[in-house]
Order: sequence, then C-alpha cells, then structure tokens
Amino acid sequence: MLYNITLTIGYAYDYPAAQSRHVVRLMPADIAGEQRLVAGTLSVTPKPAEWLNWTDYFGNATVEVAFREPHEEIDFEVKSRVERLEGAPLLDMSPRIGDLAADIAAHRMLDPRSPYHFAGNTRRVTLDARTTRYARDTLRESMSTLDAVKAIGEAIHGDMRYDPEATTVETPMLEAFEKRHGVCQDFTHIMIACLRGVGIPAGYVSGFLRTNPPAGEPRLEGADAMHAWVSAWCGGEVGWVEYDPTNRVLAGADHVVIAHGRDYSDVAPVRGVMRSHGDHTSKQAVDVVPITA
Amino acid sequence: MAMQGRPAIVDPVARLLAGYRPISGVPDELFGADGEVRPVWSTLIEAIANMSPEELAAGQARGDQYLRDAGVFYRQYGPQDAAERDWPLSHLPVLIAEDEWHEIADGLIQRADLLERVVADLYGDNSLVADGYLPPALVADNPEWLRPLVGVTPRGGHFLHFVAFDIGRGPHGEWWVLGDRTQAPSGAGFALENRIATSRVYADHLSQSKVHRLAGFFRTFRDALIGMREHEDGRVGILTPGPMNDTYFEHAYIARYLGFMLLEGDDLTVRDGQLMVRTVDGLSPVSVLWRRLDSAWADPLELDETSALGTPGMLGAIRSGSVTMVNALGSGVLETRGLLAFLPRICAEVTGAPLKLPNIATWWCGQASERAYVKANAQRMTIGSAYATRHLFDLDEVSAVAGAFTRPLDMTVEDWIEARAGQLVAQEAVTLSTTPAFEEGTLVPRPMSLRVFLARTRDGWQVMPGGFARIGRTAGSAKLAMQQGGSAADVWVVSPHDVPAETMLATASTPYLRQQPGVLPSRAADNLFWLGRYVERAENLVRLLRAYHLRLAEAPKEASPLVAHLETYLAELGADPIDGLPEGLVDTLASASTAADNIRDRFSVDGWMALDDLSKTVRKMMRTARPGDDTALAMGILLRKISGFSGLVHENMYRFMGWRFLSCGRSLERALSLTALLATFADPAAPDGSLDLAVEVADSHMTHRRRYAVATNRATVVDLLALDPLNPRAVIYQLNEIAEHISVLPGSELHRQLSPLQRAVLQARTDLAVETPETLTSATLTRLGDEIASLSGHIASTYLR
Repeated sequence: MLYNITLTIGYAYDYPAAQSRHVVRLMPADIAGEQRLVAGTLSVTPKPAEWLNWTDYFGNATVEVAFREPHEEIDFEVKSRVERLEGAPLLDMSPRIGDLAADIAAHRMLDPRSPYHFAGNTRRVTLDARTTRYARDTLRESMSTLDAVKAIGEAIHGDMRYDPEATTVETPMLEAFEKRHGVCQDFTHIMIACLRGVGIPAGYVSGFLRTNPPAGEPRLEGADAMHAWVSAWCGGEVGWVEYDPTNRVLAGADHVVIAHGRDYSDVAPVRGVMRSHGDHTSKQAVDVVPITA
Repeated sequence: MAMQGRPAIVDPVARLLAGYRPISGVPDELFGADGEVRPVWSTLIEAIANMSPEELAAGQARGDQYLRDAGVFYRQYGPQDAAERDWPLSHLPVLIAEDEWHEIADGLIQRADLLERVVADLYGDNSLVADGYLPPALVADNPEWLRPLVGVTPRGGHFLHFVAFDIGRGPHGEWWVLGDRTQAPSGAGFALENRIATSRVYADHLSQSKVHRLAGFFRTFRDALIGMREHEDGRVGILTPGPMNDTYFEHAYIARYLGFMLLEGDDLTVRDGQLMVRTVDGLSPVSVLWRRLDSAWADPLELDETSALGTPGMLGAIRSGSVTMVNALGSGVLETRGLLAFLPRICAEVTGAPLKLPNIATWWCGQASERAYVKANAQRMTIGSAYATRHLFDLDEVSAVAGAFTRPLDMTVEDWIEARAGQLVAQEAVTLSTTPAFEEGTLVPRPMSLRVFLARTRDGWQVMPGGFARIGRTAGSAKLAMQQGGSAADVWVVSPHDVPAETMLATASTPYLRQQPGVLPSRAADNLFWLGRYVERAENLVRLLRAYHLRLAEAPKEASPLVAHLETYLAELGADPIDGLPEGLVDTLASASTAADNIRDRFSVDGWMALDDLSKTVRKMMRTARPGDDTALAMGILLRKISGFSGLVHENMYRFMGWRFLSCGRSLERALSLTALLATFADPAAPDGSLDLAVEVADSHMTHRRRYAVATNRATVVDLLALDPLNPRAVIYQLNEIAEHISVLPGSELHRQLSPLQRAVLQARTDLAVETPETLTSATLTRLGDEIASLSGHIASTYLR
C-alpha cells in the first residue's frame, strides 16, 4: 500500500522564546521488509540557525534544530510518500509464556532491538502490582506468548474508554489505568506495563494510521493525529510483533511507523527546551491518504 | 612515709592510651595485630600525650575556628529542610605508613585502569556482555547506562580522569574496595580543608613530621585539566548543580583553589556543536568541564527531560568532540553495586591478573544459582538494590541486614529475593577496622573507611597521598555517613624520610602555563548586580526605619503628620513599620544572601560571613526590638554592620568586571532611593520636618550644614541630594558612577557608536543635569526615577542574558 502523508505540528508561545533547541522524530521510518520511505521532506519555520540529522540509539532518524533569535511560533511540516509492505501472515511459533524467560536468557546481545531494553522500568512505564495483576488475570498458563499479547491487548481495549479529553501527554500511566480512559498513548503505556509485568518485553511505536478506512470498514480511532501502539517480543523465533490496543488489531497495512522506543520519552515527536517563560499552545494535523494507482 | 598505689610519674603515652580498648576480632589502626602501637603512629601519639589538656583543647579550637572562618559546611537533609551544618571534623587524623600506602595505590591504579576498560566496552561494542562476563540485564536496566552516549568515544580517548575509591580494612588486616566512585566523586576539596584544619590542631607537630603534602596532587591535576584543551582559547570550568547541592561548598572551594570558573548548566549554551559560556562579553568557548553534576541531569534534550540543571545540546557538543568531560557522561554506570560481583572475573580476563585489592564479596541475585546461595547465607550478608551507587552501609532503601529487613516489609526475605531477583545484590557483611577518635577528651576506637582519589595525568594515574576518612559515630560499622552523625578526618601518609614541600605554585623547572584571563559568566554578573542592589536597598530601609522610630519616640504618630507620612512611604516600600521590624527588610537581606550564595567562588569568605551575620542579627532583633528608641538603636547597629560589609567588599574586591556589576547595582539602587525620597519628602505639600528627614536619611546632615549657611529649604535639599556631583548621596553622582562603570564594560570601546545602554544612561544624566532645584519638581523626579529603573532592564539585556 502506498500513502501520501502530511503532518503539521505548530507551537505558539505566550511570550517570545529567546532561544530554543528541539529534537524531532517526525519522518516515517525506512524498515527493510516492512516499510519503505519513498520520499520525505521536513520543513521548519522560522528557519533554524542549526540543523543536524542523526540516528538515535534505537535507530530512529532524528533531527535537531536550534533557534537563536526570539520567536513566538515554530511550525514543523512533513510531507512524505511511504510504501507499507504487506507482511506474510503471522505463524504463531512463539513459546508458551512460561518458557519465554528461557528464550530471553538465550539472547546474549545488547543490540538496540535486544529484549533486555524493554523488560524493566522506563521513564514513563513503571512496573506496578496493579497492572501486573490485571495482566495475570487475563492469562492462562497454556497460552503462547503471541496469544498472551493479544489477550492482554483485547482486555485493555475492552475495559478502557477512548477519550481524547480525559488525559494529556503528561498524564501518568497509572492514573489513566486506574480511571480506565485515555488516548493511544495511554492505551499503549498501560499495555506495555501489563506485558512487562508478566515477563514479556514490550516497547512503544509512534506512527500514523490511514485516515479513511477502506470501503465498508469503520474509521479507526486516532487517525486524525499521530498514533501509537505496542511492540512486543514473542521469543527468538517470532521476534517483535506490533499490536494496536486502541483499535484491538495487530498493526498492519494501515499502520505507518515513525519510531521505536521503550516508551513515549524515547520517541516524543518534538522534544524542546527553550529559554522562555509562560505557557504555549500546540496544534497538530495529520493526513494519511492511500494512493490508488 | 610509705607511698602507696600508683607511682608518682606515669608515662604520658600510657596514660593517654590507658582507656583505649580495640574491639576484639576487629583490626585497629592504632594498635597492630601484635597489640603494640603501630610505629607510624608513635610520634603523633607521643606529641599528643605530651600536650596538656588545655593545649590540646586550644589546638582543636584552632582547627574548628579555621573551618568556621573558611565557611566550610555541609548540607544536611532533614524531613523539612536542608540546613547548613558545621563541618564535623574528627580531630585525630588517620595515619598510614608509606609502604602500606604504596600497596593501596598500586591496587587502585590497577582498578582505575580496569574500570576505564570496562566503561569503554559498555559504551563501545559490549563484548563483555556478548562474551558472558556481564549479564545483559544488569546493563540494560541500569539507569546510569546512558543509551544516547553509546558509540560516542570521548575526545582524547579516555572516559575516566578523576575517580575515587572507598576502601576499608577487613578482618584480617587486608584492604578491601567497598565502592567505586566514577560519576562525580566529592571529597577531594574537603580532604584539603581537613588537612588545613588538622594542621592547625597539631601545628607544632606537623611541621616536623614526615607527612606527604596534598598540593602537588592538585597542581598536577590542574595542569592536566588545562592540558586537555584543544585550543589556547578554550576554557576550563567546573560544572555544579548549584547552591542547593550538599557539596556545593566544595565545588566553589575547588574552583577558587584551582582558579577555574564555577559554572551552572544555565551558564552554558551550545553553538554549532561548540560548548560556550555566556559571559558579559558574549559567548566564550569551553573546552574542558570537570563536572560535579550527575550525568542524567546534564542535557534535558536527550537525557532526563525534567532536568532544570543541564544544558540543552550538551550531548551534541560531546558528540562533535568540542569538549572533554571529566568524567565522560555515563561513567556513573561503573558505580553500580551489582558490578562488583563481576569485576574480579573481568579483571582476570582482560588483564590476565587478579585484582590486587579485592572488592567486597558481592553476589548478583539475577542468576538462579547465586540467588539460592544468597538465600542460604542471608544471615551473614547485607542485601540491597543492585543499581544503587552508594555503599551498602548507607542503607538507602529497603535492605536486609543479617537476614532481617531494615524497614517493615510484608514478606519473607527469601520471597523478597525471589521476587526482586536481578534488582538485588548481596554483599558479605564486613566489619571495618577502627581508628582512634576523641570522645569527651579520651580516645575511643571508631569504625573507619577511606576515600582515596586518583587523577589521570600525562604520566598516568596519580594517587592523592592522603584522602578523606569517614569515622563512625558509634562502635558499630553501619553509620559512617555524615548524614547519620559520622565525622570526617584527615589522612596522613607518613614516610620514614623527609617529604618534599609542595605548593600550588609552579616550580621553576615545570613548563610555564599562562593563567587564563578571567571572564565573568553572565549569571555571576547578574548575582553581583543584584547583591549590590539588595544590600543598598536594605541600607535605605534601615535608615528610614531609624528615622521613623526616632520620631516615634518623640511624638505618637497621631500627633505627627510626618510620622504618618513616613509610615505610608515605608509601607509602599513593602516595609510597614507598624508590626515591629518589617518582613520586607528580612526578605531583602535574605535575597542578598541568596545572591551571594550563588557566587561563593567569587566572593570573599569574610564578606559572605558579614552578610550572614547581618541576616542573623535582623532575625534576632525581630524577636526583641521594641518600637521607639529601642528599635532606633537596633537600626544603628544594623547600619554599622551593613557599612562593615560594604567596606569589606569595596575596599578589598579586585577592581575587575565583577566589582563593576556589584557597584552598578549599588549606584542604581541608591539613585532610585534618592529620587523617591526627594519626590516624597521634598514635595512642597510634604509635612513639616520632611526636608530634615530627607537630609538625615541621605546621611548628608553635616554636608548640608557646611555647604549652606541656612536651615534646610527645598532648594538646598534638592541641590544637595539630586544635583551635587561631589555628594555620594546625590542622584547625579550615582548616575555618573554608573556611566563610568559602563564605559569600561564590554561593548563600550572608545571611538565607537554609543551602545543602547550608554545612550540610556547619558539621557538620564542629561535630563537631570539640565535641571535646577526650582525646575526639579516631584513629578520630574518621579519621571527620572522611572528612567533610572529602566536602566536595570538595559543592563540585563546587554550583559546578563
């Protein structure tokens, strides 16, 4: 499937920021066998005084920009064309969840995709008895790891209310969990906590969803903004599997990946620090349009 | 007559040591295993034994006095506050023989080299993990393993430049490493202060004894830091988290001692990959940073996003190779307790030899067999977080000591170990050796650990011949930390031969190193400017309050419109005099102290203590002073103290840029107070007596009498306090001062167009200079006051951002 994707993110400050520096991860990723970035441009207004391209630890394309002149607004605009490749149907060769620990132990490397990075506490996902108990309650011992991932994702989807007004980007994971509401970021963090709690390494994927569904299918939640879902490690044979708890589906041809990380903090679309005071407002617009040849 | 009982003459050494009983089964520093005083101690013990109790007490008082005069303190964190506490010096140093020290030094150098190889591997290709020498989870779950720095080789090739080790003497007399300090080890500056204070206690003895000096170590390291610069114009700075840090005193002290800038994260910025310090003269490159800030806080953009202490873009500057960090960001990963379990094997593997100094036996509970062993032997172990970096004696979170929890936990120790697994590490419970300490005049054995410092120089690692000893408060080993009432002691490495004298001054034979010309970071200038303003503001309030209470003593305010007028004026200044001494005065002095606190490295200790004394005095007066004469007298005392402070600062401060900012602040504040004073008390509608009050508050009574052969009238008062260019209490005088200071600050070079700040000052001066007492109405004065106030903003935007 081929998509044209446009994204604009804008910030407006109450008082001009004297200087600022930002790290942005907004460009769809290029992933062998899964997704091809055909073309993509990022434009930034006002014109940054510094612009650096680098790849972060987890392999995400990262852009760092700095502004030296006082500014009241910053706008980021991405235009890209992405080919999302159809994967082969997933065969469940994952170990039973009781045997996953042995699979992890057999892995001795610390490469960026190593399950060890995704097992413990990270900045925004802390293992907690409540999420772990919730996850345990949905599992049966005979389940394969992949089935366990799906079961937990389905449970979260069933119990949580999707509510864009209820949480913000700074709402702690546990608070969203206790109140059983939130948006894709909350769903994703909660599912990561649940999976890690039962020993399944899990990470965060930021990306896009196709805006309008194929004929006859419902519109997916979160399609009008950037989206997030879960990446779970299902053993050495199967590896990483991506699941979207907000929509109760395995991530597929409708999902376009931007970045992988342990939680939101690793892949925040725009992370900035400015010398300024006062508050700011932000806006975001996303359009993901399939190109029918 | 027969003498009974004791002989008349007692050996003084025997008398001194009569009550000293080492704990059985625990080695002692003073007494060797043979029960005899170790030879290294004999001359010091003899010297002490031959001092009278008065001499000894006087010596100890000298040591304490030195620490107080030097302003040495540490910050103790209580449940509510973080208070500054007097430095707890143990008045007896720990003595170690030179040959034994050489063995310790040898072992620690080997360990420092080993740690360098481990950290290079952890941020390099991770072969220790791949080859099975380190469990991957111990690295991946480690909060100090900073992923953004993986793959970044430090400029110059080394991660570690300044490290410390905590060591202790184990049950069989051998030395053990208790912990590795690689993040930003503190204590070297305190070791120096301990040395100076202890040498005051034993002034007569130390000059003849063969104790290795410390200055050479610091000189060598300073030269090494300067040598790390890639360009002549790059600067060396010390990066501090700021005055609220528990060891800030040491940061400021070391900065002063070594002659480097003390910088906070906000002083720094990054331009095209180059780290820069914001100075009053624009951006200036920084090439080497000795950081006392933990890595995670260094860059909010890529590390801890909540950090307000860091510099956005710092990691970019490191990646581009424009700055050397001492130590490299991420080096804190080596402090992890869990690593101690694996270092012996790693050492054998990478160096082909065993550790020369063993570390305390450690088991990581992430492995099933180790976990089982720990469960079976929990009785003789201390179990705590695998990722914590303090040593286990500090018991910083839930731990299990000898099979019991230090805090109640609703499970068994075995279940806890099973559940927390890789989060936990167990260490053999060791008993540390004891060393003598004075307790109410007698010597008692107290547990002791040493912190030893190593610096990388061109010729390899240098070990500071001495260190920082932590002495326990009680006989048990668990409470060495000063936060828990322990004390600190000097460490003497004693040679059988004479030792070379060392100073910070370079010897004639060493290569000449040019001292870096000073630059003034904008934040320091900002604090100096405001210090000048706050102190002047406080003085003005005190003078007004004195005038108020003097008049209150003569007539109740109901009967005196002048008193009422003054009361309103004070209230508008935030210093309502009705309820005793106003909070506004206390706050102003507190703000002055905060500003001074932020620049301790540039500010004389005497000046700082004078300011501290001021704040304390005011607080005391708030409780005791009664309205009227009593308060007037109290204000007189305060005035003298403020004058003392100002005299100290303005007499002694080096006439460089810092002083200019301090003086600008003072002049600006005084010019403002005077315009307001005149607008209020030289107004034609002001009550009777106002003009005399204005002259009194402006301290110009004598001058007025000499200059004008008449009683005060509006014209003479305005002439004297606004327009007289020779009266330091005149507005025009202070504006001239400001103009002069600015003319020598950066941006005011000769033969160039005026800067916006120069224009604004010139405008204000001109606006005032063309006035006469008759035309200078209250409205004009108020307008002039606004103009002067706006200069503050000009100064800030020109120099202080």
